[in-house]
Amino acid sequence: MTRNVAILGAAVLPVAKWQKPRDADVQVLEHEILAKVVIAAMADAGLDKSEISSLVFAQPRPYTQQKYFATFIANYLRLPCTGTVQEVLGNGMTAALAFEAAANDIRLGKSQVALALGINFESAVPAVEHMMNSMKATGDVDFHAPFGFTPISWYAMDAARYIYEFSSSREELASISVKNRRHASLNPIAQFRKPITLDEVLAQKPIVEPLGLYEVPPRGDGAACLVMVDEEIAKVSGKPYVRVRGRGFFHEGAHQINEVPNDMIALASAQRAGQAAYSEAGVTADDIDLAELYAPCTIIEVLASEALGLVPRGQGARLCAEGVTSLGGRIPIATSGGLQSRGHPAHVTPFYSFFELKEQLTGRAGERQVRGAQLGVTSAELGNYNAALIHVLEGVQ
Amino acid sequence: MLASQAIDRIRAFPPRMTEFTKQFWWGLASGDFQTTRCDGCERLTFPPKPFCPHCWSEGVRWVPLSGRGKLYSQTVVHAAPMVFQEETPYRVGIVDLDEGLRIATRVLSETEPGLDTAVEIVVLQYRDGPLFAARPL
Ligand SMILES: [Zn+2]
Repeated sequence: MTRNVAILGAAVLPVAKWQKPRDADVQVLEHEILAKVVIAAMADAGLDKSEISSLVFAQPRPYTQQKYFATFIANYLRLPCTGTVQEVLGNGMTAALAFEAAANDIRLGKSQVALALGINFESAVPAVEHMMNSMKATGDVDFHAPFGFTPISWYAMDAARYIYEFSSSREELASISVKNRRHASLNPIAQFRKPITLDEVLAQKPIVEPLGLYEVPPRGDGAACLVMVDEEIAKVSGKPYVRVRGRGFFHEGAHQINEVPNDMIALASAQRAGQAAYSEAGVTADDIDLAELYAPCTIIEVLASEALGLVPRGQGARLCAEGVTSLGGRIPIATSGGLQSRGHPAHVTPFYSFFELKEQLTGRAGERQVRGAQLGVTSAELGNYNAALIHVLEGVQ
Repeated sequence: MLASQAIDRIRAFPPRMTEFTKQFWWGLASGDFQTTRCDGCERLTFPPKPFCPHCWSEGVRWVPLSGRGKLYSQTVVHAAPMVFQEETPYRVGIVDLDEGLRIATRVLSETEPGLDTAVEIVVLQYRDGPLFAARPL
């Protein structure tokens, strides 16, 4: 018998610059913060700590001094486990892979209650230093990095190609930042909440042309814990919960660019993984009520929403400018504020997407609630969407 | 033979060279742009590899590339990693070579080149070794 996986509890740290410089007298340390988040998530689930039997961590950034963080936390929280205690890593997909590993423990019957959790502290490390690492992750160290590509330079090239092929414009793309900030203004855990205008977005300094400061992700710190359970436990809890309805994965076997020229901005990985997730869930894109996508830059929200069939190809930016993807629109996208405004503590970012979908699908999203939301889709990626991991979630009230 | 341009500084983040890839980098220094082709399925690959990624045959040979192609996309990097600080802003892009290979490299152009513009690969002769770049024809 296949076990269904549910998210019964969740808690996150508001995204902000929490990390202190290494020479500061008083530090903010990862384990103290994460412990509070775990306790809050378990209180939300209404379960006792003795019921937890798997811990799957998103691996912290290398700046976290406490190594073997997972086993350290198992001690810090005194959590004996019979399922697994592990850390996973996969760039921006890290937290979604942790979610998968925790879900698999439940599917395989190794655990009935599994935590998917993690903390990403990096904001006190200067961007120029951080990029010395990240440029080696998003490209070939010998055949890309020597030219000075940065992680978001690839997205900028997606933007240039999109504007060229679909006669779109920087203004249309920038409307995504305005929309996401408006959403973030309604989200108490968002990093940036003051509404912004299109003119303000366009006036920011360029970062990777055509994208400026407000069209790329800010740097921030975050922590999250999802309490994942066998659906039978969720049912007897009497609480609203979220059921994992479908999952899809596809890696195109390429890193940043495909050496065999392809349609780079079609995001074939998101298309294939999305189809697999919809198929497993027994739904189509038209059934989806809202989407919380892994989209570090505005253009990526457009491309991923097109690849997942939420908006027609080539029209995503225009439809955002027209309000179709806003709260109150046909298919609200990034109701949390997205990576530009909710924030992007990269190794835990997908946890925040799951958190937002849980809030929405259980009717707890307050002022930004999507009325009657029942089905949500979320994504995570590697590289320039060379791989995508897609989940379809359903609210059960 | 590729056109060549001297650059009076060292490479900010030099590529590592192996016994295998030294053929590429040494060749580049003398103006040759080349990669490997599979003896079995005859497909090209880039970067050059000591095997064919398509069929996994280890029978490959070095072949010259024309160094001509089209600019698929481009951007200008203003926020760069530490080692590239002195070079900002700089232009990079993705080039589809005429042989049907997609590569990524620097783009030499003062003004914004149109996409799908024809480009040629040139050698950048830094004080410590070569890199390559694309420039509009
Ligand atoms: Zn072959």
